[in-house]
Amino acid sequence: MNSKMIDQLTCEETFRHLDDFIDRELSEEDCRLVQKHLDICDICSKEFNFEADVWSVVRTKLQRTVVPPSLREKLSLVLQEIECFETDIN
Amino acid sequence: MGKANGTAKLFEAKLEPILGTAYGVALRLTRNPSDAEDLVQEAAVNSFCGFHTFESGTNFKAWFLRILTNAFYKRYHKKQNEPEMVDLEDDLMLYLYNRTCEAGLHCTSDNPAEILLRKMDAKQITTAIAELPVEYRVAAAFYFMEEFSYQEIADIIDCPVGTVRSRLHRGRKLLQKSLWQVAEEQGIVAEHSEAK
Repeated sequence: MNSKMIDQLTCEETFRHLDDFIDRELSEEDCRLVQKHLDICDICSKEFNFEADVWSVVRTKLQRTVVPPSLREKLSLVLQEIECFETDIN
Repeated sequence: MGKANGTAKLFEAKLEPILGTAYGVALRLTRNPSDAEDLVQEAAVNSFCGFHTFESGTNFKAWFLRILTNAFYKRYHKKQNEPEMVDLEDDLMLYLYNRTCEAGLHCTSDNPAEILLRKMDAKQITTAIAELPVEYRVAAAFYFMEEFSYQEIADIIDCPVGTVRSRLHRGRKLLQKSLWQVAEEQGIVAEHSEAK
């Protein structure tokens, strides 16, 4: 963002920061400016909240993935085999 | 160099806390559970064989996931220097927001995103992610499975942070359209409209 004295963002300027804002990838100063706009603009605030909510729910659902027990067993076996093999040849 | 007795157990203990993330990422990359198991196993073998190169005190998770990503590209896709170019239609801006507004979800709920996604399970969301071009899918897999920063994802998949940013932002826009299709196919939107 331009570093000259800007202390108000338009809706359009704010919107350009949507993804970086919800991913906490903005600088502290840019984050402050976006937040300042969201505090006074209901429409942008609704859009940002909706977008953040969508990715938060998606993330929560995907992170519930359960590791199949068979994978743990296979890993344990194969690692033991490699260890035994390497111990034998040394 | 040979491995001392007990190295496998030590390695397994380091792997265990990150196995959920590794399998979750592998599932989104390969798109099916059997291939995901194979990929994690291949990454485990590769990393165990190269365990002596892991620097103690550094980030084991990032190290392992880098090996997993390399195994994925080697096995399934030749890594592309240039991302697949995808034309984003103008109507993809706020796609889900606009569709859910049109469907009236914002009038009847304080949390329309939750209404939209409530009945979708991880498998359906995984299917939607599976439709993304491979480079976008890789970035999305890491983004959704962990709270990684763009820089951390860039380090794992070995590409510039600006590329990660672009792939994530564009990928999510494409993903919104796929999620809406799932919602329509599942009757989630119609069901909500009828309930009003």
